[in-house]
Amino acid sequence: MRAAPGERAVRDREAPRMGFFTDTTVCIGCKACEVACKQWNDLPSDGSESRRRGSYDHTGSLGAATWRHVRFVESVIPSGERREQAREALAAGAGGNVPAIPAAGGMPTVQELGGAGAGVRPDEVLDLVDMASAVDDMDSWLFMSDVCKHCTNAGCLDACPTGALIRTEFDTVIVQPDVCNGCGYCIPSCPFGVIDRDPFDGRAAKCTLCYDRLQDGLEPACAKSCPTDSIQFGPYDELVEVARGRVTALHERGLDGAYLYGAGDAPGEQLAGGLGAFFLLTAPPERFGLPARADSPIQENTPVASASALVAAGAGLLATVASVVAAHRRRRR
Amino acid sequence: MSDSAARPPEQEILRVFQREGGSPPGRDTTPAVGTRGEPGPYRRAVEGAAVSLARRAFGDARWSYLYDKGTGYSSRASADGAVADAARRMRGGPEVTVAVQGPVIKPAVWTWEVPLYFWFGGIAAGSSFVALACDAAGDRRSAAVARKLVLAAALPSAPLLILDLGRPERFLNMMRIFKLRSPMSVGAWCLAGFSSTAAVAVAAELAGRERIARAADAATAAQGTVLGSYTGVLLATTAVPVWARSRALLPAIFVCTAVATGAAANRLALAASGVPAGHPTREALGNVETFAMATELALSAINERRLGRLSDALERGRPGRLLWLAKRGVWAGLLLRLARRRGGPWIDHLASTTFLAAGLAFRFAWVGAGRSSAADDEAVARAARSSSP
Repeated sequence: MRAAPGERAVRDREAPRMGFFTDTTVCIGCKACEVACKQWNDLPSDGSESRRRGSYDHTGSLGAATWRHVRFVESVIPSGERREQAREALAAGAGGNVPAIPAAGGMPTVQELGGAGAGVRPDEVLDLVDMASAVDDMDSWLFMSDVCKHCTNAGCLDACPTGALIRTEFDTVIVQPDVCNGCGYCIPSCPFGVIDRDPFDGRAAKCTLCYDRLQDGLEPACAKSCPTDSIQFGPYDELVEVARGRVTALHERGLDGAYLYGAGDAPGEQLAGGLGAFFLLTAPPERFGLPARADSPIQENTPVASASALVAAGAGLLATVASVVAAHRRRRR
Repeated sequence: MSDSAARPPEQEILRVFQREGGSPPGRDTTPAVGTRGEPGPYRRAVEGAAVSLARRAFGDARWSYLYDKGTGYSSRASADGAVADAARRMRGGPEVTVAVQGPVIKPAVWTWEVPLYFWFGGIAAGSSFVALACDAAGDRRSAAVARKLVLAAALPSAPLLILDLGRPERFLNMMRIFKLRSPMSVGAWCLAGFSSTAAVAVAAELAGRERIARAADAATAAQGTVLGSYTGVLLATTAVPVWARSRALLPAIFVCTAVATGAAANRLALAASGVPAGHPTREALGNVETFAMATELALSAINERRLGRLSDALERGRPGRLLWLAKRGVWAGLLLRLARRRGGPWIDHLASTTFLAAGLAFRFAWVGAGRSSAADDEAVARAARSSSP
């Protein structure tokens, strides 16, 4: 699968389409890929806020300075009883064992904890949380190393008015930092919420699939650093074969929920024409913050929107001219 | 291309901190290598030196203890489409079955400059229609006013757009390529052409070359059809649900705002320049602004019905209140137009002013609604599952 028709891209017979296959079933959430990415690409930190929104995932989301993000899917349905226990433990005084209820709305907020009467300062809350029981409470703890999808039909690439976003000879999509003027149109044009504008730098930035390393025949930093080979890098066609085989193997072992997100789909059901960086998931995509269906918004919406624009603008022009001309004719009569 | 002179950025960074809020100050933004603002130096320390670990054709990536043969990591995939079926089971249905753990998409980072530009650009486009109409009707005096208004509304547009860029000093990069696929590229070129022909029209008129001025008017109005409508296309071709799902009507709604605000501004300008009440152009423009605003109200109602639950973004929060205000403004303007026979011309002026203000509120509300729609992870996930209207 090559780039969309009508799109110009560098072509090199020595360079096949390269991609990532990220297998979430073997990801251990160590975040080595995030660190390797930051180091290789010289990206600044995301700040030092821990446990934002009660999650153990300190990174939060992909951004201009975060090109790999290990998403923690912590799913637990907290009972009212558990929350009550937490409050009571806090009320018993500092040092009491607070049962932690992490993730989606489950954790008692810092305000709740602080207001529980124990005089616990927000910065003490971490020490009071019992990590082991928190993990026991969760029905599943999934990790997914998220990254730019390097779409076949790339929304950001279609949107870019300066030509800063290009497709490389490896069929990946990169931003040329010396061209980008920070117009920001690529940001809402990405159906996966990947690309972002750095408020400090003023330019859009995202994963380059380590274009500089690729040109020297090296695999990207994140794939190199992955200790469990959850991130696999290689020629796209070979990766898809491995991934399809992996799904089959997991099905054989009884894990029926395993599926590929972004590869191996029937034509017409592909995500953005097929993703250069695709994933093996075991839960519906929304659990990982991924849309169930996606395409380049420009390719999807331009025909209808431009037709509406041309018809309306033509009608507006005609109506204005006709009404002014008619008013003058009436007057002359 | 050196930006280091334009942005040695400690003060600039502090300014951004205050504006954006969020992460704590003290982030060291000094690059570890290279020069700030310069492209990264993709250069070897020793030219032509062998890269350690590099093998031909990514040999370093091929070895894996996980998926090597005999590890049981991967089986031979069957060709019966089981893999595609598995994906269809998990992401094929129309309903979101689990809690959405966002963020799914990112909201646009555009600030007040962009909706304000939409308003100015709309007035410029609408005025270019008026200038052409006055030429066609042979009303030279009104055409002269309209022409100047086109230029006056087009002039602040480019600075506003440049101000919104992350790197304003690189605005000329917009002119680096022409890309029909990108609505923003089309818009940038259109704004450049539109402003140029508008300036030619005013200059020709001042030089007394009426025929050139009229030809320039026609060219400006032709580009005005794009300038007044591309903004709707620009928003409709994003992944933001409330914009994208309005794709069939959003450009038309934006054209209505453009025509109405253009006509209203011209009506006021004609009155200010001493064109008497009852002048056919003034009368006609009053009708145009009223008709365009009424159409916009109707189209908005249809659009919100088509959006269904997605129209939450247009009803809640600040953009919701702004849109409510804009619609009430339009209703007030329409009522004033109905009541005008009893009052003097001031009633009409008040109606025109109300329409202009409502147009501005519409612009800000639509841009703001995109922000809240993108932040609503549930809505984004639901929109991805449901088929497009």
